[in-house]
Amino acid sequence: MKRLEQRIAIVTGAGQGIGRAIALGLAREGAGVVIADVNEESANTVRKEIEAAGGKAFSIRADVSNENSIEAMVDKTLEAFRRVDILVNNAGIFPTSSVEEMSEADWDRVIGTNLIGTFLCTRAVVPTFLKQGSGRIISLTSGRAFQGAKNGAHYAASKAGIIGFSKSLALELAPHGITVNVICPGITDTAQPRGHQTEEQIYAQAQRIPLGRIGQPEDLVGPAIFLASDAAAFITGQTILVNGGSIMW
Amino acid sequence: MADKIAIVTGGAGGIGRAVVTRLARAGFGMFVLDKNERAGQETVELLRQQNHAAEFFRVDLQYKTEVQDLFETIYAKTKRIDALVNLAGGTLHKHPIQDFSLSDWCEVIDVNLKGTFLCCQAVIKPMKMRKEGIIINTSSNFGITGSAGRTAYAAAKAAIIAFTKSLALEAAPFGVRANAIASGLTATARVMTGHTETEWREMGKQIPMGRSADPKDIAEAINFLASDESAYITGQLIHVNGGMVFT
Repeated sequence: MKRLEQRIAIVTGAGQGIGRAIALGLAREGAGVVIADVNEESANTVRKEIEAAGGKAFSIRADVSNENSIEAMVDKTLEAFRRVDILVNNAGIFPTSSVEEMSEADWDRVIGTNLIGTFLCTRAVVPTFLKQGSGRIISLTSGRAFQGAKNGAHYAASKAGIIGFSKSLALELAPHGITVNVICPGITDTAQPRGHQTEEQIYAQAQRIPLGRIGQPEDLVGPAIFLASDAAAFITGQTILVNGGSIMW
Repeated sequence: MADKIAIVTGGAGGIGRAVVTRLARAGFGMFVLDKNERAGQETVELLRQQNHAAEFFRVDLQYKTEVQDLFETIYAKTKRIDALVNLAGGTLHKHPIQDFSLSDWCEVIDVNLKGTFLCCQAVIKPMKMRKEGIIINTSSNFGITGSAGRTAYAAAKAAIIAFTKSLALEAAPFGVRANAIASGLTATARVMTGHTETEWREMGKQIPMGRSADPKDIAEAINFLASDESAYITGQLIHVNGGMVFT
């Protein structure tokens, strides 16, 4: 029995890494998935993967930091599917810079993509969720939100911001049966950590993780399906840490 | 018996029944442990009527030898325990601290915290040797927020969180996971009998999602933690509370 039959999901940053894995997983469970990515080509590739597996998907270029782009993303989703049930706020960036050397433009870009992008995508689907009387919002944070990030203060701030935002929104939307939760991966085997760490550093980190390995994108899929499904109807405002035990909260 | 085995303590209670039913549906052969013999037998009967493999054992978790003997008996039958769910517990005594007798206070700690410890200890070595196993303990909203009159219960439930994290660290190198769930107001017969229907509805309205938890809500979260879908989750606390408490 598929758990997300008849549901429509939007996954941002779904062209690669964790977003791609979650999009494929939601599709496997029967959801129609909107593959949104700033890189249209990667979004198309994931769409074709889902279609080849017999799933239903739609791909679109979307820049989460741009209000018009996101309004258009949701409009086109509604045009294509007539509804939307699940939003996965996954798109994010992690450039590095010390606070001392951080330009305002760098700061704005990280907060604008990770935090304001989450706000914009969420705000764009909420009217539909309210009309339907149901909906699931799942946003991705990071262990850096809890522990900080040397040379990534903007990133850590944006990811902690997502948690505070989600708890507040959970309170606003709970009376309407809409849940808002956060998934917190640890270091994951994608391109992102390789932007600022060598393979040796990543390997050394894996040795310090209690379960003895870094995360795979697939590790986030089960938790995302769970939170999107009826099984998690009474869970809201929470952050689920999926990190092999590296941070316990 | 089934390919995989789960033990649920407090398995005959209001939440317990929903949990054992859910895990049985997921393919676990069930061992239902409870202090209440009659409710336990009824629970097992219910599972068998649905064609699930289930056995009941009466146990008082405060007594180390009783717990050890029981788990030995179960291991002798099954050779393996794949999932241990420690649900047994309860407020038991509610008094202002100046009126709380030491023996009452210790009973609450023993039933909630020591019972959890003893059951975990009974399975951890075989789980580590087999390099697989899942432990799920039960905390409570009160373990985070505290509760007037429940100094012992809140202390025990907070302690279960730290205990579970420590156990998770010890067990992780062997591929064994330990997590906890925390819930709040839950619609079980035992809790509801203390309130009128109107009172109960009013209490539900205090919760952001506007209702108390259904035992099934808790059972689904436990089923998630007992499945491979949570393979990379350990040492965590999952709240099932309709938005009542965040950490």
